[in-house]
Amino acid sequence: MTYVRAAVRAFEMSMKLRSVNPFSNFSWLAFPLIFTVLGLLLLSPGGGGHSAYAILGGGLIGYWGMAYLEGGNEIQNERWSGTLEQIMACPTPLAVIVVGKLFSSLLFGMLSFIPAVALGYFGFHQSLHLDPIPFALSFLVLTFAFFSVAMALAPLYALSRRAFTVTNGFEIGVYVLGGFMFPISQLPSWLQAASSVLAPTWAVRSLYAAAGQPFGHEYLRWCAISIALSCGYLAAGWFLYRVVDVRARVTGQLALA
Amino acid sequence: MTTLRIFFRSCWFQYRAMFNWATPIGYFSYKFLQPIVQILFLTELGIFATGRSNALYFALGNALQLTAVNGIFGVVMSVGNERQFGTLPILLGSPANRVVTFLGRAFVHVLDGIAGVAVGLVLAFVMFRIDLSHANLGLLAICVCIISLTTAGLGLMFGSLSLITRDVFVIANAAYYLLLVFCGINVPVSRLPEWAQLIASCLPLTRGVQAAREVVSGAGLAQVSGLLAGELAVGLIYALVGYALFAWLEHQARRGGLQEAY
Repeated sequence: MTYVRAAVRAFEMSMKLRSVNPFSNFSWLAFPLIFTVLGLLLLSPGGGGHSAYAILGGGLIGYWGMAYLEGGNEIQNERWSGTLEQIMACPTPLAVIVVGKLFSSLLFGMLSFIPAVALGYFGFHQSLHLDPIPFALSFLVLTFAFFSVAMALAPLYALSRRAFTVTNGFEIGVYVLGGFMFPISQLPSWLQAASSVLAPTWAVRSLYAAAGQPFGHEYLRWCAISIALSCGYLAAGWFLYRVVDVRARVTGQLALA
Repeated sequence: MTTLRIFFRSCWFQYRAMFNWATPIGYFSYKFLQPIVQILFLTELGIFATGRSNALYFALGNALQLTAVNGIFGVVMSVGNERQFGTLPILLGSPANRVVTFLGRAFVHVLDGIAGVAVGLVLAFVMFRIDLSHANLGLLAICVCIISLTTAGLGLMFGSLSLITRDVFVIANAAYYLLLVFCGINVPVSRLPEWAQLIASCLPLTRGVQAAREVVSGAGLAQVSGLLAGELAVGLIYALVGYALFAWLEHQARRGGLQEAY
């Protein structure tokens, strides 16, 4: 119960900070709009029913950016603010604090779909045709996948101040490997193999299938694979949190690491 | 001579300060990993929309746009970080020549931007087999240099805004990604709405990228000189406006003691 309360407090604080942070608001509002415009300009003139890739793709990019970058960046911000040591030293495990922060970034990330859908509808007269139950299921699984990736990566940010820099390129890499704005079947086979170990890839495929893209209807299989991979990330994350905890106490160089 | 020394030392130190995180792995990620995935993502998106035969258009455009990583992010943050790191009042209080100080924010980024595009073009060549057999490579290099200069001009103008806003990173991000839409990088300018074409004509990159595309198709200096002159003029205007803004804001800040009050 104490842990739940701590996570809720972290969530509340994170929501307050995020709501007045211009970059967070840029990330869920402007970022999806820019990519949706780009996608719609490219995909809507030829028809082919690909505008879902522009609309959902813009939202996915904003959602992933919030979950991955903003979620991870919260740890970096704690380091810059000089509060990382307090978080690590307090009796509540770091993972609990990160859970609260991540729920906040996921909630903001979900907002990314609003400007994308609105722009598609009002600006380009394009709308989504969804199969509601599979779509809702896929979206839940996708959220779990984003949560798991961010949870697993967050300790890396605590471990090293350079982790953010090194993994920054990974953000756009997941646009490619996750099939956010085009099907991964057009990628070279070795990239398709790499994408198959990413939990978001399977959830995104399920999401697009529910939005009418011709992938078939194997929702349960795709969601099961995504959930299994996500659980694997969480297990890896659990190990990393222990490494961070031990290393921080042994070296005493958390903020400088 | 002293001015030149100050210029080059200032260039180098501000670049080092900005990339203080630049371990070899970090720099590799910034210089190679990000360009690879950005070119890959936007080119594959273009291929999905228009077919594999158009890969050259997207790969070339996005390789050239990499100059904005330095020209926009680098230059804007170089000016903006003075405020974030608490050195702005010291900078404004120093007797250093303002033109030298101002242009020094951009110089190394222009060079690094050129290197970035070179990396991007090699990657585009390797990943998408873009055909450079008809290209005048010397002229293409001139196009890249000019694009890098003009993008830095835009960066200097946005960087000046850091004197009156704390959210300069948002400005840099917005500028960087909007260039992808407006400047003929991924969507031909002719396919944009009229109001967007007007914006495109006022931005750096638009003419430079068009010139580079024509050079890759075999055009000579005579055919692209107008575009390159226009590109240079646009960049110069942005740099001048940026400097004027910087000077005016500095004047206002001195009068009111407002260096970090915004």
